[in-house]
Amino acid sequence: MTEHDITLTVNGAEHDLTVEARTLLVHALRDELGYTGTNVGCESSLCGACTVRMDGEAVKSCTTLAVQADGAEIRTVEDLGTRHDFHPIQEGFQEEHGLQCGYCTPGMMMTALDILEENPDPTREEIREGLEGNLCRCTGYQNIVNAVQNAAEQMQPAAVADGGETDDDGPTPATDGGEKQ
Amino acid sequence: MEFSGTFELEDTTVDEVWLALSDPVLVQESLPGCTFLLHVEGEEADFDELAEQASELDRELTNDPEVIAQRAFKEGERYAALMQVSVGPVNPTFETVVTIDERDRPRMDASGEGSSGDSSFEMSSSMALSETDDGDGVAVEWETQADVFGKVAGMGQRVINPVANRIVKRFFSSVQEELHDLGVGEVSTSDGDESDGRSLVDRVLGRSKSTDSE
Amino acid sequence: MTVDSLDPDDVDAADILGSAIERREDPALLTGNAEYTDDIQIDGMLHMAVVRSQYGHAKLEGVDTSEAEAMDGVHGVYTYEDLVSDETPGGGSFALPTAWLLDSLKQVEHPVLASDKVRHQGDGIAVVVAEDRYTARDAAGAVDVEYERLDAVVHPSEAFSDDAEQLHDDAEDNVAFDWEIGDAEKTADAFADASHTASIDLDNQLLIANAMEPRAAVADYNPGTDELDVAMTTQNPHVHRLLMAGVLGHPEHKLSVRAPDVGGGFGSKIHHYADEALVAWCSMMHEGPIKWTATRSETYLTDAPGRGHETKAEIAMDDDGNIVGLRVDTMANLGAYLSTFAPAVPTYLYGTLLSGQYDIPAIYGHVKGAFTNVPPVDAYRGAGRPEASFLVERLVHLGAKEMGMDPVEFRKQNFVPDDAFPYETQVAVVYDSGEYTKPMDEALEMLDYENFREEQERARDEGKYLGVGFSCYIEACGLAPSELAGQLGAQAGLWESSLVRMHPSGTVTAYCGTSGHGQGHGTTYAQIVANELGVPYDSVEVVEGDTDEIPQGMGTYGSRSAAVGGSSLVKSAQKVVEKGKEIAAHQLEADPEDIEFENGEYSVAGAPDRSMSMADVAGAAYLAHDIPDEMEPGLEATSFYDPDNFVFPFGTHAAIVEVDPDSGEIEIERYVAVDDVGNQINPKIVEGQIHGGIAQGVGQALYEGAEYDDNATLMTGSMQDYAVPKAEHVPEMETGATVTPSPHNPLGVKGVGEAGTIAAPQAIVNAVADALEPFGVDHIDMPMDAESVWSAVQANATADGGAEPGSDDADHGGER
Repeated sequence: MTEHDITLTVNGAEHDLTVEARTLLVHALRDELGYTGTNVGCESSLCGACTVRMDGEAVKSCTTLAVQADGAEIRTVEDLGTRHDFHPIQEGFQEEHGLQCGYCTPGMMMTALDILEENPDPTREEIREGLEGNLCRCTGYQNIVNAVQNAAEQMQPAAVADGGETDDDGPTPATDGGEKQ
Repeated sequence: MEFSGTFELEDTTVDEVWLALSDPVLVQESLPGCTFLLHVEGEEADFDELAEQASELDRELTNDPEVIAQRAFKEGERYAALMQVSVGPVNPTFETVVTIDERDRPRMDASGEGSSGDSSFEMSSSMALSETDDGDGVAVEWETQADVFGKVAGMGQRVINPVANRIVKRFFSSVQEELHDLGVGEVSTSDGDESDGRSLVDRVLGRSKSTDSE
Repeated sequence: MTVDSLDPDDVDAADILGSAIERREDPALLTGNAEYTDDIQIDGMLHMAVVRSQYGHAKLEGVDTSEAEAMDGVHGVYTYEDLVSDETPGGGSFALPTAWLLDSLKQVEHPVLASDKVRHQGDGIAVVVAEDRYTARDAAGAVDVEYERLDAVVHPSEAFSDDAEQLHDDAEDNVAFDWEIGDAEKTADAFADASHTASIDLDNQLLIANAMEPRAAVADYNPGTDELDVAMTTQNPHVHRLLMAGVLGHPEHKLSVRAPDVGGGFGSKIHHYADEALVAWCSMMHEGPIKWTATRSETYLTDAPGRGHETKAEIAMDDDGNIVGLRVDTMANLGAYLSTFAPAVPTYLYGTLLSGQYDIPAIYGHVKGAFTNVPPVDAYRGAGRPEASFLVERLVHLGAKEMGMDPVEFRKQNFVPDDAFPYETQVAVVYDSGEYTKPMDEALEMLDYENFREEQERARDEGKYLGVGFSCYIEACGLAPSELAGQLGAQAGLWESSLVRMHPSGTVTAYCGTSGHGQGHGTTYAQIVANELGVPYDSVEVVEGDTDEIPQGMGTYGSRSAAVGGSSLVKSAQKVVEKGKEIAAHQLEADPEDIEFENGEYSVAGAPDRSMSMADVAGAAYLAHDIPDEMEPGLEATSFYDPDNFVFPFGTHAAIVEVDPDSGEIEIERYVAVDDVGNQINPKIVEGQIHGGIAQGVGQALYEGAEYDDNATLMTGSMQDYAVPKAEHVPEMETGATVTPSPHNPLGVKGVGEAGTIAAPQAIVNAVADALEPFGVDHIDMPMDAESVWSAVQANATADGGAEPGSDDADHGGER
């Protein structure tokens, strides 16, 4: 099996690693680099549990090859807030009980950030459409929709102050890990 | 699962198409992903041996009915094919053995099975040729009943059906090309070898008696 | 109405029980700090992959592992012969046991790797141990298996047919069991005397749980100590440890089973599967850590599906619309082998619920279990109870129609009356408490039912077909007491155990033998314990899911955790309080009889200034300088709580749908759920459980179904083909609640985990049947996709002379 040297910038930290051509991005993140917050649900890009942001776009890391991500900036759930300083999307999920087992949640939040970036004030229908590629088996989605709306409300004023651009870093201090918009 | 369809070959005749489809070499060349297609001599089809045999064989496409007659499919005989198929993200190579159950111009029935590690299939297929309504070509009506097992089956019909259709389409397109390139059947079909009461072409064409043909 | 969550810091200690506080589990789950089984990394860890049967039914002619063994990075390839060899570790049965027996049950051998025959697609044939997961899978693909394919059976009715291939030598005609409940003769008489009857033939389709986290296990055997640690996706670690000890022949006390964070289960992580035992065995074989994580395809092939009934049933009424009898004949699919609790699901978890919410004087249920070539079938969220409730509520819908009565009126007339509780049904259970009209009335109000009926009429005039469907469900949770469970066939007690430990500083660790996997037990249990001990909520830590830490346990399933585990915690906490009372009395120089305990303070009756806090008492208990003579130091208590009875949650769900008879499309316009789950420990969590349950019920009604072809090859083996509902597929749910406490557990709770899944399917099917009444459509099997709805409309339009879509007949054909 051919091996490749690649560089991944994950949450602001640069990692050089050697992977097989077929190594999936999610396995590189989890098994090689220890970012286990991103979960694998289906290995076929249908469930969305593995969603991460690559150069600012939500991608399914279970169907992205690690070599395809060479040189990319990856953002995972570990880069959102900490338990003492939640990102608005985390706050929304906590307040609205938008998670139960939590397995889909990291991917769900990454997609939610994508939705809110494109549309800072989405309707419930728009959120449901936007979450089309992310499955949850526990919540029935209603509280996830509430969570995304909750986050949207929290992020609104910042967006206005920012001249209409949402800042998906929310209250987290901007670090090198913040991805380019 | 069942697949069926009709493919129309232009500017040819039932005899020409029958002749072409009687030739394992032409079929091998036309089947996408087919490494070899060989007659199985013994009881078991040993694919390692067959692969070796295939590499040593020097068979060429021809329009010569004599040559085709010698290697033409025979009713009741078994043929082995090694075929690589792209199904979704995987490219399994199937070791396939097909029996020609019936071969009676313009109809051929075959059944067989193929396996590739964690996937396999069983199929029975039939094909019938007829002149198209405009008289200018040949309609190949085909149907296949297939059971698919293992990993490939797990991909579901939404994945498998288009694959099957793609193979069939490419196969007939390729047959059509070869027909034209080679001019199969353009050799005179009248200089029959009457030794067994049937013309050479009749034999190749799978006719029981020459009078059966128009 | 939506429940608003609260920050626990904003809740008074005295109000903690019953508050909708935010979950303490969430921060770890929201920051990527959770630890699911596949997250576990141990140095030197190898990976296992399983070679699985590609056929639904076949004889094994040969397994050639040589090519796989020769591959780089492969450490071993093993078949059944290796497991049972004297040269390899473990002397167990290497066969999976059944933990529920029935008199007529045919117990068939279920080896953890197939020895001579494979009986379902995905049946394990060999395992590969390799350096990494890719190599392990590659090598599994390189194992050459020679099969002789056999004919397969998928449905029970096929399995029982004369020409069906028999799966097991010792299960003649593929009959796994033949079981009945109720009184056949009395019911036959009731039907003979009845003036009206209605009947139904239905399939309750096989479903696949689809927990988002695939099953996984990491086993780590220490050859120095002979200790075998298994971290795995389990809902019941102690049960898994007991069963696995027997399968491997490794002593229970040298085996530890731990549930890290578990990403959903819905029943599918209760059962003892082959894979987890195989990882453990491979770890013993290689004397080091080994991981196995199922791919999603593997979960589709091996997770126990649920449901799978073919049923004929009928209901009988007298002239006044009173239900006088109910009769059910079901063929239940058990799959290829008997899974852990499989025999209980279509019998005692199904037949005992056939009275629904109704006072029915004669009931008879007959169930025949079938071995088929689908994977072993077992509990999936609801397990038997959804099948019963679906059937009863469909029959009641049809019974009302037969009587020409409004379905609400018909139901109310036949409800078990409020003053009849405890109510003994004709099917062997006693309902603890209930007020069935209450949730029904609340649901009607939320729906604005009368207005809806008028709107429905108007809509029909405009060629729009609206329908309302009701589901007045009952469920039984917390199966108990153990003595009864034993009489019914359980090979286990169904108590729950807990330990409440005060620390010297006054904080608390509470251990419980249940094992949550998304239900928020860490939060609710802390609410319970904080309330009992009068200590701050934040002072209570909850530990679950580890056989090394928790003395004993039965696990989380059947909506039992709050009712049984929560009650056990109450008992343990009460024991702590009692012991504390003696210490306080001693220190306060008072008689223990005179010590009062309230809000975490012990005080002397009549002298409230003479008091000690719980924390002070705990400190004293561990200092042990001055405690009563003969008393052991320390302050902790264990309990085994064995409930007196099941608990019986109930409620009314109602759906309003619009059906387009021309396209067959169904739109859920409204979904109303009013549930009575007894007292609520945390209403936000209760709401979440109801939501999630309904979503799975909607999935069954409209989208989901495990489909196999004639060879028992799964046709819905990916998330592309098996339609797990997406956000767009689940309607906005309007929830309400009534509270009828259970009288026999200390919390008055009933159980909520499965309610939504049990209730939802029939609400939707009844609504569709109501919408399509002008077309004479009585029933459509689930999942009701557009094609099946369209076909039902067409079939009835022609066969029954019913209206055709868009015709004048249809426009005016509606009747209530």
